[in-house]
Amino acid sequence: MARLLLLLWSLGPMLWQLYSSLKPSEALSGLGAGGWTLENYRQLLQGDPPFLTYLINSVVVGASSTALTLALAVPCAYALSRLGRRQARALTALVAAAAAFPAVLLFLALLELARDWHLANQLLALSLPYAGLCLPLAILLLQAAFADIPVELEEAALIEGMGLWQRLRWILLPLMAPAMASSALLVFLFSWNEYPIALTWLSRTELLTLAPAMARIAGSSVYTIPYGACAAATVLGSAPLILLMLLFQRQIISGLTQGAIKG
Amino acid sequence: MRWRLWLLMAPALALLLAIFAAPLLHYLWLSTQAQSVLTGLQPQPIGAQQWLRLWNDGRFWQDTWQTLRFSAASVSLEMLLGLAVALLLNQPLRGRGVLRTISLLPWALPTTVMALGWRWIFNDPYGPISRLLAGLELPAIPFLSNPALTWMATVGADTWKTTPFVALLLLAGLQTIPADLYEAAALEGATPWQTLRRITLPLLTPYLLIALLFRLAQALGVFDLIQVLTGGGPAGSTESLALYAYLNAMRFLDFGYSATLLLGSFAILLILCGAGAVIWRWSLRWQGGLR
Repeated sequence: MARLLLLLWSLGPMLWQLYSSLKPSEALSGLGAGGWTLENYRQLLQGDPPFLTYLINSVVVGASSTALTLALAVPCAYALSRLGRRQARALTALVAAAAAFPAVLLFLALLELARDWHLANQLLALSLPYAGLCLPLAILLLQAAFADIPVELEEAALIEGMGLWQRLRWILLPLMAPAMASSALLVFLFSWNEYPIALTWLSRTELLTLAPAMARIAGSSVYTIPYGACAAATVLGSAPLILLMLLFQRQIISGLTQGAIKG
Repeated sequence: MRWRLWLLMAPALALLLAIFAAPLLHYLWLSTQAQSVLTGLQPQPIGAQQWLRLWNDGRFWQDTWQTLRFSAASVSLEMLLGLAVALLLNQPLRGRGVLRTISLLPWALPTTVMALGWRWIFNDPYGPISRLLAGLELPAIPFLSNPALTWMATVGADTWKTTPFVALLLLAGLQTIPADLYEAAALEGATPWQTLRRITLPLLTPYLLIALLFRLAQALGVFDLIQVLTGGGPAGSTESLALYAYLNAMRFLDFGYSATLLLGSFAILLILCGAGAVIWRWSLRWQGGLR
């Protein structure tokens, strides 16, 4: 019974969107029964710009943010896990505070940064603030994983005469793969969902990522919101994420819990 | 050796300082400046006037109240429901893994996407709730046009989205509690309520605190959901502090005041966290005194 309730609660709203997206708009406003239709999707995919553009933009931003975050977080987490306990603890506390910080409060300063450095309307530049905002969680997660690797392993490699880079590349990183996958997925989810910064950095329609594009669709017509098209947009916008969740739920869940708990 | 460790950390720490610390310092400076259309968008020093304006700004206090009301309601609902879901998912049920994945889906959706979805669900008269009520011949509920109801609609949508996050954290906590504690309690003939009260909740406390802290900080900065679901309306009754600061910067082009508002929100967050820490310490001492 409780299980059924939970299923209904989680899936109900999404199923309603799916249903609405497959109905003609007359049926949605109660003017006629109407059968099933793909008209809403056709309208969306042939729009100007086509909806696919937003999805591609989001993938580009997500991929570059993920790469940049990992490139910065892995060395930092390694060093933190090898630093003396007192310094490491103080730094970790600061990083954890940053992880809980509500990012929206930073939008104004980041907007000025974009203006002064001419970073607005550049998709790849968006990965700079995104990486900054994701770093705390990624560092906490990776640091916990580095700490779990026995120091003896690294000392043995040191005796073999391996340099720092070689130790990282051949000994440590292979062991870090699960934690890196978890952080990569969480960063990707974050940048796919991020709204206030994308909203203020991007103004050209063809450069919008999914989140601001959705808001623009909602605000585009003042009097009648095209609910059929909106529902189709929510379905298309959620589908990649739902797929990602179903494929990698184990990594995402472990990343989410590990990052928050060890931090 | 030591300096090499710092060298490895330098790029990440530099970016963290640039993204988190520099903005806050910049706001401190900007909140002493007038920078708006009236000054030709050029900063002009005006001392503490922005802060006086904040203090006398009824809209700031109203938005503070609305943000606090939203945060208190949604965070407490999420903690309660999250605990219930975590307890359910911790039982050895069939299909537990599938259920866990499905219940996490709302959390993964972009807030703007799901806010748009909820706008359609709350729609009067064509949304599913209105249709259901009409089918039962009950009066319609104007979720998005009645100020007394709209803030509850925002709480409902937020609860739907973030309960899975709380549930997942608490589930991880539940799984660290050794099973023999429960076996011992069962042998002693403890009721389920006693078991929850005496074993589960005390051992879950660190996880509850982490979830509470995370959710409270995020709820106090609520922006995406409100902007898309209600736009702050009707009549500003759901406007949050972050949305007000956003409007000041992007619509009224008053950057000095926007920075002041953002710092004001940050101060409220700090005060709440500080008060929470003090209360927590007191309650520990009080419990210690009882034993």
